[in-house]
Amino acid sequence: MRINLDTPVVESREQRLGTIIAWDGKASELSKQSEYARKSCASGCGEKGRRLCEMKGPFTQGSVCSEQMVECQAGHIRDAVLIQHSPIGCGAGQVIYNSIYRNGLAMRNLPVENLRLISTNLKEQDMVFGGVDKLEQSIRDAWERHHPKAIFIATSCATGIIGDDVDGSARKMEGELGIPVIPLHCEGFMSKHWSTGFDATQHGIMRQIVRKNPTKQEDLVNVINLWGTDVFTPMFKELNLRVNFVVDLATVEDLAQMSEAAATVGFCHTLSSYLAAGLEQEFGVPEIKAPQPYGFPGTDAWLRELAKVTHREELAEAYIAREHLRVAPRIAELRVLLKGKKGFVSTGSAYAHGIIAVLRELGVEVDGSLVFHHDPIYDSQDPRQDTLAHLVDNYGDVPSFSVSNRQQYQFYGLLQRVKPDFIIIRHNGLAPLASRLGIPAAPLGDEHHALGYQGIINLGETILEILSHKKFHEDLAAHVTLPYKKWWLDQGDPFLLVKGD
Amino acid sequence: MQGAETVVTEGRTFPPLGPKTNSIQQVRYVCAIGAMHSASAIPWVIPITHCGPGCAEKQFGSLAMCNGFQGGGYGGGAVVPSTNISESEVVFGGENRLRELIRASLKILDAELFVVVTGCIPDLVGDDAGAVVREFQAEGVPVVLAETGGFKGTNFTGHELVTRAIIDQYVGEYAGGRTPGVVNVWSMLPYHNTFWQGDLSEIKRVLEGGGLKVNILFGHESEGVSEWKRIPQAQFNLVLSPWLGLRTAQHLEGKYGQPFLHLPIIPIGADETSSFLRKVVAFAGIDPSLAEEFIKKEERTYYHYLEGFGEFYSEYFWGMPAKFVVVGESAYNLALTRFLINDLGLMPGGQFITENPPEEYREAISREFRTIADDVVTHVAFEEDSYRIHTLIRQSDFGQKPPIILGTTWERDLAKEMRSAVVEVGFPASYEMVLSRTNVGYRGAIALLEKIYTTVVSGTA
Amino acid sequence: MAINFDTPVVVNREQRLGTIIAWDGSASELSDLSEYSRKSCGGSCGENKRKLCEATGPFTQGSCCSEQMVECQAGQVRDAVLIQHSPIGCAASQVGNSLIYRVGMAMTGKPVENLRWISTNLKEQDMVFGGVERLEQSIRDAWERQHPKVIFIATSCATGIIGDDVDGAAGKMEAELGIPVIPLHCEGFKSKHWSTGFDAAQHGIIRQIVRKNPKKQEDLVNVIKLWGSDVFTPMFAQLDLRVNYVVDLASVDDLAQMSEAAATVGFCHTLSSYLASGLEQEFGVPEIKAPQPYGFAGTDAWLRELARVTNRVEKAEAYIAREHARVKPRLAELRKLLKGKKGYVSTGSAYAHGLISVLKELGVEVDGSLVFHHDPVYDSGDPRQDSLAHLVDTYGDIPSFSVSNRQQYQFYGLLQRVKPDFILIRHPGLAPLASRLGIPAAPLGDEHIALGYQGIINLGETILEILSRRKFHQKLAGHVRMPYKKSWLEQDPYSLSN
Repeated sequence: MRINLDTPVVESREQRLGTIIAWDGKASELSKQSEYARKSCASGCGEKGRRLCEMKGPFTQGSVCSEQMVECQAGHIRDAVLIQHSPIGCGAGQVIYNSIYRNGLAMRNLPVENLRLISTNLKEQDMVFGGVDKLEQSIRDAWERHHPKAIFIATSCATGIIGDDVDGSARKMEGELGIPVIPLHCEGFMSKHWSTGFDATQHGIMRQIVRKNPTKQEDLVNVINLWGTDVFTPMFKELNLRVNFVVDLATVEDLAQMSEAAATVGFCHTLSSYLAAGLEQEFGVPEIKAPQPYGFPGTDAWLRELAKVTHREELAEAYIAREHLRVAPRIAELRVLLKGKKGFVSTGSAYAHGIIAVLRELGVEVDGSLVFHHDPIYDSQDPRQDTLAHLVDNYGDVPSFSVSNRQQYQFYGLLQRVKPDFIIIRHNGLAPLASRLGIPAAPLGDEHHALGYQGIINLGETILEILSHKKFHEDLAAHVTLPYKKWWLDQGDPFLLVKGD
Repeated sequence: MQGAETVVTEGRTFPPLGPKTNSIQQVRYVCAIGAMHSASAIPWVIPITHCGPGCAEKQFGSLAMCNGFQGGGYGGGAVVPSTNISESEVVFGGENRLRELIRASLKILDAELFVVVTGCIPDLVGDDAGAVVREFQAEGVPVVLAETGGFKGTNFTGHELVTRAIIDQYVGEYAGGRTPGVVNVWSMLPYHNTFWQGDLSEIKRVLEGGGLKVNILFGHESEGVSEWKRIPQAQFNLVLSPWLGLRTAQHLEGKYGQPFLHLPIIPIGADETSSFLRKVVAFAGIDPSLAEEFIKKEERTYYHYLEGFGEFYSEYFWGMPAKFVVVGESAYNLALTRFLINDLGLMPGGQFITENPPEEYREAISREFRTIADDVVTHVAFEEDSYRIHTLIRQSDFGQKPPIILGTTWERDLAKEMRSAVVEVGFPASYEMVLSRTNVGYRGAIALLEKIYTTVVSGTA
Repeated sequence: MAINFDTPVVVNREQRLGTIIAWDGSASELSDLSEYSRKSCGGSCGENKRKLCEATGPFTQGSCCSEQMVECQAGQVRDAVLIQHSPIGCAASQVGNSLIYRVGMAMTGKPVENLRWISTNLKEQDMVFGGVERLEQSIRDAWERQHPKVIFIATSCATGIIGDDVDGAAGKMEAELGIPVIPLHCEGFKSKHWSTGFDAAQHGIIRQIVRKNPKKQEDLVNVIKLWGSDVFTPMFAQLDLRVNYVVDLASVDDLAQMSEAAATVGFCHTLSSYLASGLEQEFGVPEIKAPQPYGFAGTDAWLRELARVTNRVEKAEAYIAREHARVKPRLAELRKLLKGKKGYVSTGSAYAHGLISVLKELGVEVDGSLVFHHDPVYDSGDPRQDSLAHLVDTYGDIPSFSVSNRQQYQFYGLLQRVKPDFILIRHPGLAPLASRLGIPAAPLGDEHIALGYQGIINLGETILEILSRRKFHQKLAGHVRMPYKKSWLEQDPYSLSN
């Protein structure tokens, strides 16, 4: 199915990929049930071709919305401004993403500064009469204050419902200011999973920023990342390749030159799927079709595919051999130190597949994992990107593999199933519960931490560090009351209320 | 100085910045649904949010995490139930979904009271959340509703909606008598004020020191809903802020015939705190001797530490900022400005009120600033857009040394640029770890001095 | 009297200059009594030619020692190491000095770092058997750790008494390491006033660091200062002169090239007297013989003398005229704002003379001052440097002018005499008392703040700032108890002295 860049509104994940946000079973089973998506429909879910059985229940806790993902992508481009066309409450994210932006800039040795988000601050009367005038005013304010290279507009639930003509305003202001003014349609209610917000941003970038007549740069590789430390530059140097980091912390020019690159890679298919596939479809920039670069087999295959596409096979083989040798001794030590330890991974979907691989390389037992959603397939539709199958095939099954849209009330029961020594997280909300149960968490704020060969060592060291925090969490656990009823906590099955529809 | 097209500070005029627009860059308050935190600030109370999927998380991440890393507490953060509204509820209405969620929440969550708050979507598509909640109330379920659609107001006005919902729908009617010496305290905004927990503890401690029995209502020192149930039995209400809580107190006056005392100044430092306690004790009409004894003891401790500070203050070699700027909501802004002028003898260099207080209170707020001291001219500007605030500060002349900025994370870059010290005293304070720390009363004033001058001294080398 | 650089031990201030640390009277009287030292001996003090009447009494509070001044000079040379040859207690001031050093580096735009001192950490058995071996060990440690350009050694009361051969050890180690190893004799008990410590450090620098065969740099001027902000570079740029800042925060090479300069100036004769005279005597580098650069009269005269010596008279006159015109308007405003205010100056000796001039320029009343010591003459012996006479002659008398070696018990009574609105200080110990009396203090950590024409404005602004802080001190004053007996506080502050 082609990505459609003709309309300003992105298609949601559930429409494109059949994404689900609640499921419970074994990893191998989920992998099998997802097969229909890339082969023929063999699932038992009735007639809907791209549909996994999804659970649905009456109780849900606060999730995350697509607009937030737009903030953390379009809002983190260094010479752009993001307008939040919304009541002031959506602007609450400015505080969170500013904290992240500043940390990210510092991690990447870029000058630390506040981000540039402007709320149109819609009020009650705007709900009646429309907010387009305020939108245009804020776009003008953005221009006068910062002279940005591009202005993004994030829509909101409110403006979606009242039907503001954001596309019209954007066009008008683009004509007036002579810079791209890019509407990103990301109303929270439009998709059940926030990752549609990634796609919304990437959609707008491909439509209005990426250069249409590229001059190819044969050694440039797009790396779709967030704010992580720069582990790619030294790695790519070994292959005589240069890095073009996008979308976060990039400049508009970095985004524009994406069409000139020799290939596109990422650290997580959940994030990179849409953009990488779109760049290939629209501009012929090959997406590296390989497992993600986690653990030895994943990293080996990923490097080899990258090398093949960029014609650097010899350099890659030499690098792979050197790296295997280099990391082997410390990994052997870490395996001894981590022997018998149990980990639980609760992160985004494809990222979890990678992290579990790394834990298994370290000899850590992983009997359970919670992913926030599941994409049965990615936009490339290429089976070489089937990260879940790669995990199951290379490292064996994960018996308790649950899809749960960051639902803390289910997390208790999931932890009871496997009683881990530690958990690995990225998004917030789950670690506080684990902490109250005496279980420490490693928050992988630096998303590149576990990537590649060195990532195996990094993650091992981090686990040793956080295991030492156990004292704190155990002490706390003895002194807190959980907000869940005993009745609920005593239920063996965290999915009791959400059996499939 | 309404509207602040031109700002005058210390006799200097800032060039006009161009008219205010709707734009808000670098938010200093959030929307009414942010008042879900006023519910979770009451022990064993849990909010239920009827809104889009990101609303609860944003408010929580912003107000409770990236603001002092306070944590969500018992029933906040990721615990908060949410309908996570999707397209079908937008099209077909979300009442059934809300009903289902409340019912499930009763099963799963152990709360003494649920407070349903609504976001933009149900308020726009016209869900009758009230009808749904009334069904549960009819069954005797402890649940109330506050309609807090994002476009309807701020988390300040939302706070009073939540408060009022609990009073009207949960505390209910009362016909009994009032207990002398018992006071209900309505003061700073929970979570938004980064230091609310420590501050409320100190206020309670001071009032109790004067012999009062205190319903502090929010924070871990509150008994929770049983304390709320006793609100009508209190002798009076104390509104300790320039305007927040006034509507609540007026409502309680109408509803229960309960009088209120309005003191706009949250006390910082011995003079202010002793005078505060004397006023409350006088209003209550209780024996002042306990209060006087308490004041004597507190002042002895306070001035012991102040004497130590005085040596630093009089002979620290490397110069200290003589002026200060406060960027923050009116309650803290006023309290800090008074303390820094009257107790430290610093010179005000611009006071920016940032919470967008309702129009009808603005003149009274300005008056409070004007009357801080006879010999000091203080001007306030009501500004919410950080871009404007920063531009105005940049254009000011502060004389020999840059001012101390008492502000927020948003001022960090500005402070760096001006080579001045920034102390994060309000939302958002993303570089502060705040648990029980307080800036008010006797103890808080000393902690505040420690914080300000640690920041100043660390900045020298 | 020529300075003697042949011996490693400096001659102390009281011997060289007749320094006193206690006296009470008016400024004009003190100036008159000091006159013998710059003209003929007309003093009435009997036979000791260089001796003023000095008050002494039974009660004294903690003062300051010469070793501390060695620390804050030799210890703040950037590429040197200072060895404190002493029990660990003398090293207590590493803490305070490191703070000063770090702030000073920051103020002058240099990389902030901790200072590098080493204590020989002498113990009881060393008092018996001597500490020379430990000293040599610490010198070797200093070399191995830092490879400094120079190693200074500060002696201590203890090593002075046990008679360690510090000079011998220094000579030996200098030969071993091939860098100057410089003993600075600064036992606290050897001088009644700490400023001898400045001289000790400067003595060692002149003896062992300053280049003996200088190549003259006709546009270079030595500026003897501490850590103050760089106000000289822009000023000297107007005269086509370059600044060589010494001793604090200087490099060893900066110190070495002092002999190549065209002149030497300073912000305070108390600090610069020995070094400036020594450089003139030993290397022919002229010391600028003028009042200090405070207030219009002092700054004018100082600039003119500098210009004369460096042959830049025209540039100086143009600069003087420009500056007068520039500062006048704000000065007029400040005079209005400060009208009726009373100030009290309690700082080092010559520095106080300068600050009082500036206050008088600002229209501030100065009826009292406390200086920590008084030098009746400076090493040059030149009457053009008589800073006290310059003050009295230009700005009139100070009725209550007291010399008191930072004795807080006397300070109470001195403040009662004149009831000032604020005080100016540099050294610690006096402001806390003033604070408890409701009087704010301006601590002039940046010693250049009041210097030159701009300094008049700076000091005025600073006073306005601290006057605003009176509120704090007055509140505090209402809640503190003084450690002095009421019966003492009612006495004249010098009533115990004779």
